[in-house]
Amino acid sequence: MNTKIKVHGMTCMHCHKRVTDAILAIGGVSSVDVSLEDESAIVEFDPGKTSLEEIRQAVTDAGYEAGAEECRLPEAAAQEQACRVIPDEVMDEASSRKKPEPGTVEDAIFRISGMKCSSCAQNIEGILGKHEGVISATVNLPLERATVRYEPAKVSPEELAEDIESLGYHVVKDRVTLDVGGMTCASCAQNVEKVLKRLEGISSVNVNVSMGKARIEYNSSVVSVDDMRKAIEAIGYSASMPVDRQLAEDRERKEREDEIRRQRNNLIISVAIAIPVMLGSLKPVFPDLFGFVPDILANRNVLFLLTTIVMVFPGRQFFEGTYRGLKHGVTDMNLLIATGTGAAYVISVASSYLELGPGYHHLYYDTAVMLIAFIVLGRYMEARARGRTSESIKKLIGLQAKTARIIVDGQEKEVPVESVEVDDIVFVRPGEKIPVDGVVVDGASAVDESMITGESIPVDKSKGDVVIGSTLNRSGALKLMATNVGADTALARIIELVENAQNSKAPIQRVADVVAGHFILIVHILALAAFFFWYFIGFERYDVTLNSGIASPFLFALLISITVLVISCPCAVGLATPAAIMVGTGKGAENGILIKGGEALERTLKIDTIVFDKTGTLTKGNPELTDVVTVAGLSSDELLVMAASAEVGSEHPLGEAIVRGAEQRKLKLKDVEDFRSIAGKGVEATIEGSRILLGTRKLMADNGIDIASVEKTMESLEAQGRTAMIAAMDGRLAGLVAVADTLKENSKEAVEKIRGMGIEVVMITGDNRRTADAIAGSIGITRVLAEVLPEDKASEIRKLQDEGRIVAMVGDGINDAPALTQADIGIAMGAGTDVAMESAQIVLIRNDLRDVIASIRLSRLTMNKIKQNLFWAFGYNTIGIPLAAGLLYPVVKTILISPELAAAFMAMSSVSVTTNSMLMKRKKIK
Amino acid sequence: MSDQNMSRKKGRYTLIASLVTSILLAILFAALSFAVNSSRVFPLYTQVDIIAGMVFVFVLSMIVSASIWPAVIEKRMR
Repeated sequence: MNTKIKVHGMTCMHCHKRVTDAILAIGGVSSVDVSLEDESAIVEFDPGKTSLEEIRQAVTDAGYEAGAEECRLPEAAAQEQACRVIPDEVMDEASSRKKPEPGTVEDAIFRISGMKCSSCAQNIEGILGKHEGVISATVNLPLERATVRYEPAKVSPEELAEDIESLGYHVVKDRVTLDVGGMTCASCAQNVEKVLKRLEGISSVNVNVSMGKARIEYNSSVVSVDDMRKAIEAIGYSASMPVDRQLAEDRERKEREDEIRRQRNNLIISVAIAIPVMLGSLKPVFPDLFGFVPDILANRNVLFLLTTIVMVFPGRQFFEGTYRGLKHGVTDMNLLIATGTGAAYVISVASSYLELGPGYHHLYYDTAVMLIAFIVLGRYMEARARGRTSESIKKLIGLQAKTARIIVDGQEKEVPVESVEVDDIVFVRPGEKIPVDGVVVDGASAVDESMITGESIPVDKSKGDVVIGSTLNRSGALKLMATNVGADTALARIIELVENAQNSKAPIQRVADVVAGHFILIVHILALAAFFFWYFIGFERYDVTLNSGIASPFLFALLISITVLVISCPCAVGLATPAAIMVGTGKGAENGILIKGGEALERTLKIDTIVFDKTGTLTKGNPELTDVVTVAGLSSDELLVMAASAEVGSEHPLGEAIVRGAEQRKLKLKDVEDFRSIAGKGVEATIEGSRILLGTRKLMADNGIDIASVEKTMESLEAQGRTAMIAAMDGRLAGLVAVADTLKENSKEAVEKIRGMGIEVVMITGDNRRTADAIAGSIGITRVLAEVLPEDKASEIRKLQDEGRIVAMVGDGINDAPALTQADIGIAMGAGTDVAMESAQIVLIRNDLRDVIASIRLSRLTMNKIKQNLFWAFGYNTIGIPLAAGLLYPVVKTILISPELAAAFMAMSSVSVTTNSMLMKRKKIK
Repeated sequence: MSDQNMSRKKGRYTLIASLVTSILLAILFAALSFAVNSSRVFPLYTQVDIIAGMVFVFVLSMIVSASIWPAVIEKRMR
C-alpha cells in the first residue's frame, strides 16, 4: 500500500535522513521516499503489519509533525470482524442493477486514441456493427469519438470497448478519485469496489482503505460521478470529490507564510538585540573607538540578560530541534548551531559569574547572539526563497477556471467547473477563461493560449477547432462542447506531470544524498579532532597567546571547534539539486515544455544524436498532390481518377493526398471492387473491370510491369523530395502520380541550431531513399534512415544506441511511441495525445521544432545550475571547514573565520544555492 | 513484541556504549592534559581548561558515538 503523508518541520538533509530512518525502522514498511521540498513522505507498507498511525507516530517521535491529512486505517481484528458484510441483493439495489429489459436501447460514447484516418474509423464502425446487440455505431474521427447505440440486454459497454481495443486502438477512460468515508477495514474496501464494479460503464476500481480513496476508471457517457456517489452512499459509506487542489494549495501557502512570519519575528528580535550586544562587547576591547557606547551596554549583567533573551526566543528553535533529535538518537543541523551557540553562551555565563582564572575574562555573548542572528537571517531568506521555487506550479493551478457557463435546455447556467461533464455545451464570453478542454461548435474568437503553450500571439478559433481549458477567450463568444473535464484536461495533466517531475530526483542527487546523510557526524568528528589538535598541539606550537591574545588553550580550541560546527552547512548540499529541478521544470511548463523529472534532464544533457521522424515533425504531415504524369494515352484527369479511386480505401496519408487532390479538381471517383492494400508496396484494386496497381517500383516488378519509360521522370521527382507512385492498368504502365509533404517553416532553422549545438541530426522515414535524401538535404540533414517501416523505427534507434550514441527521438507520439520509448530521451511534439504523454520523457505542447532546441537549452541550463549548486555547496564546505579548523593559522597567525563570520557564511550558503536556482527564471530558453 | 524488545535493547546498549566511549575520551583528554602539565615546569592548562575541556569533549563524543554505535550494535545483534 502506498501512502503519502505530510511531514512538517524538516529543514535539512539530516532531517530527511532522520524521517527516512524512523519510518524504515517500522516493521512492515518496505520503502519510503521523503521529499524535503514537498515536506512529505511516500511510504509503501504492508497494512497487515503496520498502520499509518504507527508511521505518523514514528514521524512525531522523530521530532517532526506528521501532516494533518488523516487517513483511516484498518482497526483491530475485532473491529474488522464487526464489519458489515453486504449481501449481493443490497449491492444490486445500491448500484441500481436490474436485469436489462430486452429491447431497451442505450447510447454509449467511447473516446478513442490512435485513429489516423477515415479507414480507422471505418474499421471501428465495422467491428462494432458486427457485434450482436449493436444497433448503430458512428465514429467521429476529428473528435476521436465512437457513438454506439446498443441493447444492454445483449452487449455491455465493456465488451464494446474490448472490441475497439482488439483492433489496436485505445479507449480513453475517464478517471476520478473519490474520498470515501466510513471504511474501517479491507472488507469495507471490497464492499465499495464491488458496488462500483456493478455499475455499468466502470472499467476499474481501486480502493485504498488507508487513504480513504477510491480511484475509478469509467465511461462518463454511461455512468456519472453522481451515480457512483449514490451507489457508495447506498451501502452505508460516504463519498465526495476530494478537497479542491486550490484549497490544499492555500493551506500549504498559509503554512509557508506562517514560517516566514515566524522567522521574520525571530530575525527582528535577534538583530535588535545583536546591535547593543555587539557594541557593548566591543567597548571594553576598543574603548577609544566605541567611546560613544553607554557603559551600561558593556555591563556583563545587561549582556547576559540580552543574550539570554535571544537564546530563549529566536534561539529556542535550535535547542528544541536538537532535543527532539537527540531524544531519538538522531542529529541534524540544529545540533550544529545549538552546540556552537550553547558553548559560547555557557562559557560567557561562567566567565561572567565565576572566577575561572587567567584567560577567562573575555566574554562571548556577542558570538552567541550574532550566530543566532545570522542563522535566523538564513532561515528567513531560505523560507522566502523556497516558496518562490514552486511558484510555477502555483501559477498553473491558479490558471484553472472556477466556474463554467453550460447550456441546459437552451438556458445558460453557471456551475462549478467540477460539475461540467463531457459533451456539455459550454458558453464562453469574450474576456473569460475557457473552463474545460473542448471543440468549438459555434462562434469564432482569438484565444490566448500563452499560459499553456508559451505562444504569445492569440490563436484564431472557429467551429471545429480544439480549445484548451484555462486559456483566455479574447475577442468573440464561443460555444464549445466539452471533451475533457476534471483530471483529464490538458492543464490538469500538465500540473500532474510537473508535480511528479518536481518531486523526482536526478541521478546526480544520489551523491548529495549520501554526503548529506552523514554530514553532521563527519562535522562533529572534525570539530572534535580540531579541538584536540588545537588544545594539545596547535596552541603552544603556533604561539596562539602571542598572536591572538587568547590565554586559555581551551577557549581557543573551543572557538575553533565552534567555528567548524557553525560553518558546515548540510542544507546547501541538500537543496542544490531539488531547487534547480523545481525551477527548471517549472520554467519549462511556463514555456510549453514538460520535462518528466530529473533523470530526463540529466539524460538530455548527454544526448549526441537527435532522430527526427519526418512526417508530422519535420514536415507538416499533410502531403499534397504535386504531379500527374501520364503515358499510354490517358489524360491526367483520367489517370488521377483511376489512382484516387484505387486509394479511396487506403489508410495511407499518401493515398489520402491523392484522393484529396482529385477532390480539389472536382473529379468524380469511380466505384472500386476488390481493394487490397499491399504493405510497403502500394494498393491493388479493380475499377470498372480493370485491374489497377498503384505503388512502388517493387510492386510493378512483382507484377512484371516495365517502368523503364518513366524511370527518369520518377528519379527527377524523387530528387525534388516528392514521392512518386507508379500507376498501372491491366498490366500496362499508365503513368506516375507524385505527392509531397511540405516542410515546416522552421525545420531548417531548428536543424541548423541543433547541429550548432554539436548534436548530430538524423531523419527517419518510410520514404524511399532518393526522396528521403532530397528532403533531408534541403534542410541540412546528412544522415537519413529511409524506407523504415513504422514498426522498425524502434530497432533503428537501438542500432544507433549500439553505436554508442545517446539518442533522442522526436516524434508526434502517435505511430512512433515504441521509438520514443526506446530512445534515451523521447521528445513528443503536440501534447494532445495520451500516448505522447506516456511514452516520452519530454512533451512539447506546441508543434514547434524550435521547442526541441528550447528543451535542450533548458535541460542544459538546469543541469548547469545543479552542477553549480553542488559545486558551491560542496566547495563552500570543502573550503570553509578547513579554514574554520585553523588550517591557515600557522601561516597567517590569526583566526581567519570567527564563529560570527562562519554563521554568516552558513546562512548565505543555502540562500545562495536557492537564489542561484531562481536566477534561471531570468534566462531565455527560446 | 520481539521487535520492540530488540529496539529497547539496542537503545540501552547504544546509550551504555556511547556513555562509556565518551567517558573514556573525556578521561583520556584529562589524562593527556595532566601528562602535559606534569612534564612542564609551569603548567599549560588550568583546572578550568581541563574540566571545561572534559565537558566539551564528553558532549561532542556523545554526539558522535550516539550516531556510530547504533549501526554497530544492530549488526552485532543480528
